Amino acid sequence: MASYGGGYTKTSYGAQGGDDGGGFMGASQQGSQAGGSKSYSDDSLRPVTIKQLVDCEEAYPGADLGIDGVPITQVTLVGQVRTANPQATNVTYQLDDGTALMDVKKWVDAEKSDDDNNADPKFAPGTYVRVWGRLKSFNGKKHVGAHFIRAIDDFNEVNYHLLEATYSHLYFTKGVPQQQANGGDAGGDSMFVDNGYAGTNAAAAGTSGAGNEKLAGCTRNARVMYDFINNSPGGNEGLHLNQIASGTGLSVRDVLSAADELLGNGVVYTTIDDETWAILDY
Amino acid sequence: MEARSTPRITCTYLNSYVGKNVTVVGKVVQLRGDEAVIDADGNITAHLDRDSHLSAGNAVQLIGKVLPDLSIKVLTSMDLGTDVDYNLSNTVVEIAHQHKSIFQYDA
Repeated sequence: MASYGGGYTKTSYGAQGGDDGGGFMGASQQGSQAGGSKSYSDDSLRPVTIKQLVDCEEAYPGADLGIDGVPITQVTLVGQVRTANPQATNVTYQLDDGTALMDVKKWVDAEKSDDDNNADPKFAPGTYVRVWGRLKSFNGKKHVGAHFIRAIDDFNEVNYHLLEATYSHLYFTKGVPQQQANGGDAGGDSMFVDNGYAGTNAAAAGTSGAGNEKLAGCTRNARVMYDFINNSPGGNEGLHLNQIASGTGLSVRDVLSAADELLGNGVVYTTIDDETWAILDY
Repeated sequence: MEARSTPRITCTYLNSYVGKNVTVVGKVVQLRGDEAVIDADGNITAHLDRDSHLSAGNAVQLIGKVLPDLSIKVLTSMDLGTDVDYNLSNTVVEIAHQHKSIFQYDA
């Protein structure tokens, strides 16, 4: 483990988080994660179904695991415990949410000896639980390293979670719903923006709000790229691939596919060469 | 980990899942020995296993196999109490069928 210098610095952060025993194992064993996502500021917490986790693949070897083209960091899932398997250093639960099965490991912190940290499984088979954690891939087999697990008391939370997971899936694949797109990005996160609010907000947002109308049905990456070009000063020449990639933090590959999408929708056009785009205003 | 789904369905989807394992959330309408009638957007007959402890009027989650006569042979059941929003459950089933890619494998 000593050879994984990068993993160690990452670990110290996780260790401060208290229960995060899983962070250590993940960082030291999985080179791809330690190398790919160094910054915790990029972390988000995404609700997912287990099938999404099972299906997700590296875009290319060594890349971050991603769902719908977006790298996943922290995830939250619900599921019914099928088996609970206590081991010396962790408890492995097999969770089933009706979409697929997934192993969830809760690491035991040997330093702490209170009730929360012994290796006895706390959740009996059949219990619905909510898990917060990170997807890990080890020897080609995926599992979730859990930061925290709690039992679900209200069954409606299971249904709620499935809807929330669907919402995020649609948000990343199809973009913000039209009605909210009018309100600009500020309204994008909320499911509860009514027409009136969105309307006033669009007026306030001005050009940006109007532009977003053209982006209906675009992916998140395409929106990010559009906003970046839109908010950059400059002449008619538009922005080059590299400027967009460095400015938005997207990979060159993502920018290219986002550009394809925007080109296809007639929102941008190529200017001085095939890798420079400007926004098509009409 | 494993590509095995037990899709959430309601009464209306029974036809499409004969011979498959499914998940049903509904209200126990009637208990008759080892048979029960569950309301999940329509009545479904369920053949219970010995470990099933259902109470009439409560919500229940059944996981089981759909038989050719559109009844369900229960593999596991779970009592969910009385505070279950059936509209929500049925909506989730509809949503899950609209977005199969994140909810079920074609078995």
